[in-house]
Amino acid sequence: MALAPEIYREFEAIVGPAYISDREYILAALRQPQPHSPFKPVSPVAVLLPETTEQVQAIVRVCNRHGLRYIATVSSLISFAYPNGPNTIILHLKRMNRIVEINERDRYAVIESGVRHGQLRTELMRYGLSYPVASVGPGGSVLANFACSSGDNHVEYGTSRSNRYLAGIEWVTPTGEILRLGSLATHAGWFNADGPGPSLRGLIKGFAGQWGGLGVVTRIAIGLDAWKGPPEMPTEGRSPRYRMRLPADCHKVLIFKFPTLDQVHDAMQAIGRTEIGFSVMKYFNASAALLATESANEFWELWNSGLFQRELARPLFVYLSTWSAEELAYEERVLHDIIAETGGEPVADEVLDIYRENMDFFVLVGFLQRVLRLGGAWAPTKLGGDSVSHMFEVAKAIPEFFDGFIARGQVLDAPDNFMITPAEYGHQAHIELLYLWDRNQPDWAEVGLQVMRASLENDLEHHHHGSSPPRAKAMLERLGPRYSNCHVWIERLKAAFDPNDVSNPMP
Amino acid sequence: MTAMNRLEDLRYTMESCNHCGQCKWVAGPRTTGWRFAEICPIHMRHHFDAYSGQGLLNIARELLDGELSYEPGLVDLIYSCTMCGACDTACKSIRDMEVLDTIAALRAHCVDAGHGPPAPLTRAADAIATHGNVFGRPRAERDGWRHTPAREEGGSGPIPEPSSSSEIAYFAGCAACYLQTGIARDSARILAAGGWDVQILGSDEECCGRLLWQTGQWQAAEQQIERNLAIFRRRGIKTLVTSCAECFGAFRGIYPRFAAVEVEVLHISEVIARMLREGALRFDREVDLHVTYHDPCLLGRQSEPYVPWQGEIKSFGLHEPPKTWRRGHDGVYDAPREVLRAIPGVTVTEMARHEENALCCGAGGGVAAANPVLARWTANERLDEAEATGAAAIVSCCPQCRGNFTAALPRRDRALDVFDLTNLAARAL
Amino acid sequence: MRATDRVVSLSTLLGSDRCNADPDTLQGYATDSSGTTGPTPSLLVRPRHRNEVIDLVRYANAHGTSLVPLSSGPPHCHGDTVPGATNAVIVDCRDMNRILRIDPLNRSVMIEPGVHYGELVPALAAEGLRCTLPLAPRGNKSVLTSCLEREARLIPKYQYDAVDPLLTLEVVYGTGDDFRTGSACGPGTLDELRADKVNPWGPGPIDFFRLVSGAQGTLGLVTWANIKTEVLPPERELYLTPGDDLARLIAPVDQLLRRRVVDECLIVNAVTLAALLARDGHELEALRTALPRWTLITGISGLERRPRERLAILGRYLREILGAADLEPLAELPGMPALNERLGQRLDNPCGTEPYWKFAPRGGCRDLFFLTTLHRAPQFVARFDEFAARAAWPVADLGVYLQPVIQGRGCHVEFQLLHDPHDAASGARLHDLFLDASHALHRDGAFFSRPYGPWAELVYRDDPAGVAALRKVKEIFDPRRVLNPGKLCFR
Repeated sequence: MALAPEIYREFEAIVGPAYISDREYILAALRQPQPHSPFKPVSPVAVLLPETTEQVQAIVRVCNRHGLRYIATVSSLISFAYPNGPNTIILHLKRMNRIVEINERDRYAVIESGVRHGQLRTELMRYGLSYPVASVGPGGSVLANFACSSGDNHVEYGTSRSNRYLAGIEWVTPTGEILRLGSLATHAGWFNADGPGPSLRGLIKGFAGQWGGLGVVTRIAIGLDAWKGPPEMPTEGRSPRYRMRLPADCHKVLIFKFPTLDQVHDAMQAIGRTEIGFSVMKYFNASAALLATESANEFWELWNSGLFQRELARPLFVYLSTWSAEELAYEERVLHDIIAETGGEPVADEVLDIYRENMDFFVLVGFLQRVLRLGGAWAPTKLGGDSVSHMFEVAKAIPEFFDGFIARGQVLDAPDNFMITPAEYGHQAHIELLYLWDRNQPDWAEVGLQVMRASLENDLEHHHHGSSPPRAKAMLERLGPRYSNCHVWIERLKAAFDPNDVSNPMP
Repeated sequence: MTAMNRLEDLRYTMESCNHCGQCKWVAGPRTTGWRFAEICPIHMRHHFDAYSGQGLLNIARELLDGELSYEPGLVDLIYSCTMCGACDTACKSIRDMEVLDTIAALRAHCVDAGHGPPAPLTRAADAIATHGNVFGRPRAERDGWRHTPAREEGGSGPIPEPSSSSEIAYFAGCAACYLQTGIARDSARILAAGGWDVQILGSDEECCGRLLWQTGQWQAAEQQIERNLAIFRRRGIKTLVTSCAECFGAFRGIYPRFAAVEVEVLHISEVIARMLREGALRFDREVDLHVTYHDPCLLGRQSEPYVPWQGEIKSFGLHEPPKTWRRGHDGVYDAPREVLRAIPGVTVTEMARHEENALCCGAGGGVAAANPVLARWTANERLDEAEATGAAAIVSCCPQCRGNFTAALPRRDRALDVFDLTNLAARAL
Repeated sequence: MRATDRVVSLSTLLGSDRCNADPDTLQGYATDSSGTTGPTPSLLVRPRHRNEVIDLVRYANAHGTSLVPLSSGPPHCHGDTVPGATNAVIVDCRDMNRILRIDPLNRSVMIEPGVHYGELVPALAAEGLRCTLPLAPRGNKSVLTSCLEREARLIPKYQYDAVDPLLTLEVVYGTGDDFRTGSACGPGTLDELRADKVNPWGPGPIDFFRLVSGAQGTLGLVTWANIKTEVLPPERELYLTPGDDLARLIAPVDQLLRRRVVDECLIVNAVTLAALLARDGHELEALRTALPRWTLITGISGLERRPRERLAILGRYLREILGAADLEPLAELPGMPALNERLGQRLDNPCGTEPYWKFAPRGGCRDLFFLTTLHRAPQFVARFDEFAARAAWPVADLGVYLQPVIQGRGCHVEFQLLHDPHDAASGARLHDLFLDASHALHRDGAFFSRPYGPWAELVYRDDPAGVAALRKVKEIFDPRRVLNPGKLCFR
């Protein structure tokens, strides 16, 4: 279905003729099926490239007037960035890409939606500042990650999930009002996102974000931490063989392996109580093998050698990052005490060296998208959060539903390919099971959802909080009653703020 | 054609794209800040996803599947890409996908369907067929550069007489033969100074055919390649030295798609670096200049030898037989820098985007002919980056880059000098 | 509905012993120490269980009765517990006072609203834990309310956003529906659920816990909350750094917090420090005159393993950072009696004595507080001083407390206006100073994130779009507007 000429002209008057298109060949880039799905998204009827918040507001109002749906997106890696119904326009916020302010003194940065992790993280390094970069790759939008999607990262043990770092929000509501939340509401600056009174930022993002389902976040401020590394990325080598070593006197990676998950758990908990370390993780092993190799063939060679299954089935990754050599030595002593008590031992040097040689794993995670390499059919499940202890409990139940898929050859034989990342020195933790399946199989189109459903059923059976209810109407309605009737409140809030249901309606 | 280069052969690439966006960005570990972080010229200019490696893959898939028609503007979009390969290298840092090959195949698909290339590129193909060069200049003038001094040349000595028996040949390329003859003249001087006796092909030299391949005119490209290889065989050439990055990249990366290349191909920067290391060449004259070096796409990320692959992509991306990937790692990056640093008085500051992450000058892929406005726009972006280094000059190893930068200069506030490496090296002799 | 009928109905619901209609008692709830006044409530009820709270809210919906929740003991200080509508029922949750679960492994505690700091601190200490305290809160202050209302805390290092340390909670919304936030939401009932309920976010795309934070009970009544706790350090050292120039003293604080060197970190003026430490009126005056104008108080801690080693490193950092600013952290202030230990007691415990330390000097204290950034804080202090001088407010009666929050990415600024509540002239001056200064500071960029009383008009006047959004939220969670009407922008 095409956009009516008169509506096109309205949009064109807002953004200018160079920044709108309804040409099929332009739209072709916004309607491709993702590799994990055979289903082609509905084509948008137009794409717009607004440059200012006011343009976004004007577009949103036109959409409301004409009952047009809109999806605001930046990098569009996630399927929520694609239309699931007719009459949808895409607001590509790439031109809204300014770093509005880096406040070195008060430690916050104000950014627009189009600013990418690679840009902001490296820009901030010059000021001795940093923030937890989401594990999405350097081309991911910082704003989308902080305010609209999820926000887990490799250093959340020493920091937190990204939404904790929101310090200010400018938000065009689904009907086109511009709201400024937190201290910004009273022109007090961009340093605090909660209040005045009830914190409306709760509407913008919960465990995950609204994925564009409640208007458009156009600017945010994020809180910044100190960066203990050099002012520029100390990268050596050439693509795809980059190496990055941070100064050895204050930065060190250690990886241990344990006979049981319980021991990993005990070590993780003990480390958290001492507040040493900057990153602590039980990391994926197949994903680690993908990150460590340059091609699918190399991956298979490594995976078939069994090294990563042997060394990284139950690993604990620890990255120590300190202000002095003395502090590093102290942290290492504490760590070794804990590892000795909990029965861990160092992994083979050939595995450890991968991470010692490439500490970007804890900075930008520049190669994260390598996990997609095996043909691209992949998905995460679980994606839940609670205590470190509960996440391990959830992990121990994974084989109950997952082994069958492996036995039937439907997914990659990688039962330990899950991650448990503690946050805030172990006060919470996040779990993620990443599974890959092969598009050459006849039933490949079904596998992704089958695993996800089985995972959710497993949670229900054990009353595990292994997932937060997903953004899909049917799933939400089925699960909502078991999750405190959250679907009712989510729907009511959506209806109140988006009465015309035009802001990326829930699939 | 010997390998899987047709659009239908590249379906795995088209179906594997996750829209991660890496094709638009400098590799994360090489990013230096907010500025100069993007890497795809057409995406920087137009912002729509369709103008990017990812978008072109999507368009290719829809065209292949008959889901998209050739409405006005589509072919122009497809031919706006400079074929710089930045998307390809960026994507291959993380994936096993052939983005650039798909874009090339997409253009060939358009041509096969009778929808391309744009007229200036058809004219260029006709000129090559008729005159052996893209400019339609007389074949007889091909070695005219030997006799007429050029403004840009750095050396001052006489041009040595070519050898008739050497197994080494200097392949000047169309641009250095007709437009920037100083590059050819300085190359000849340098080779002689280093003790290399070389053949000059003269009127036997023809266009390398790079443009034909890049613009989807593959039948013509194949003929051109066969013609050139025959000349090389006939003249007993074992080693070919080029001063043009595009010719160099063509011999290494395009020719093997059509035929076995039995000559060793060297870029003049590699030759000079070797001469310097071996003591065969010395730079005695000081050249007091702060420069930045621009990596030509076909000398850098696109110059890895192409190894034909015919096989099957099995479960979970396993390529059988194993494939030799061209990921941009082993391009010619060090030699030009080594040469520059050896010139007394020259200081080199890198641009934010360099080596495999270099931004294209904007001229490649037929864009200079088909879309000169876009070519100049991209050149300006690159010149901005060069200026940000504080350098007084930008040096490249490719007459196309030099030509495009020079064309962009008149509308700029600051006068940045533009040099070919050979001109600076010859000045230091 | 007549008041007597209400008593009968609610007595039936909760039991007559849970309802108090004594006029003198009720009269006491018509005002508080901030001077806020409102209609006398018609009844006070003391529910014990969540079901009773649900019943109450449903009753209120059915009969259009206003409910004013409170969980702390007196005195109440912000006007938020004074009814804003006639015939209100005070819902006193102090009998919902169970510590439901202490989880030493995952470092959290689940408490009902009536659990006060006075009970919680020793209970946690027995398990080797501590909660991050506000500055010497009243012993009868509800921990849950304190967290819900986003009170500033002494240890900015542990605070990742303004709602920290609140984790999950159970709320009875104004509709009478109950709900659990974050990982407490499910799957299944609370008894079935095996999660530890420490993930605050969600469920789904909404941070429900944030919506009820700072809401002064206007959206829902929270029946329990899980609160983050920390390991009680086996070793702790407190340092006092005196200074005359606030800006100079505050500058290195940023470095200390960036590097996460310190736990406790606050700056107080002589009046506040004296009030905190004095054991009687004589000592109060002596301390006030003898103490430095400003004191930076910092604590470093040695945790479970190798605590002395950690202390040595952090102590060195502390000295280096302060030394670079020509400041010196001291165990004791020169020429002063041993204060360190007493101060440690003050910071580690709620105030168990009467009168409350803020009220001890003059009998009353009105706090004017807001958030700003660390570096702007001295400007606001100077600005307030102008107003205080203009109002001839005695320097001896002006306490100042600066509390860096959220790892130093903000600062709670609090002016404590000590006054005699029985002195009418002083009261009028206080009233004018409070309002005038509030307006001026707001204009200058002070963020009144917890807009009690007159501040509500101040902040919401500037933010009509925010008010409209908040009213939509109110309409969903409390459509009959039975919960604490008249507060915030819900007028």
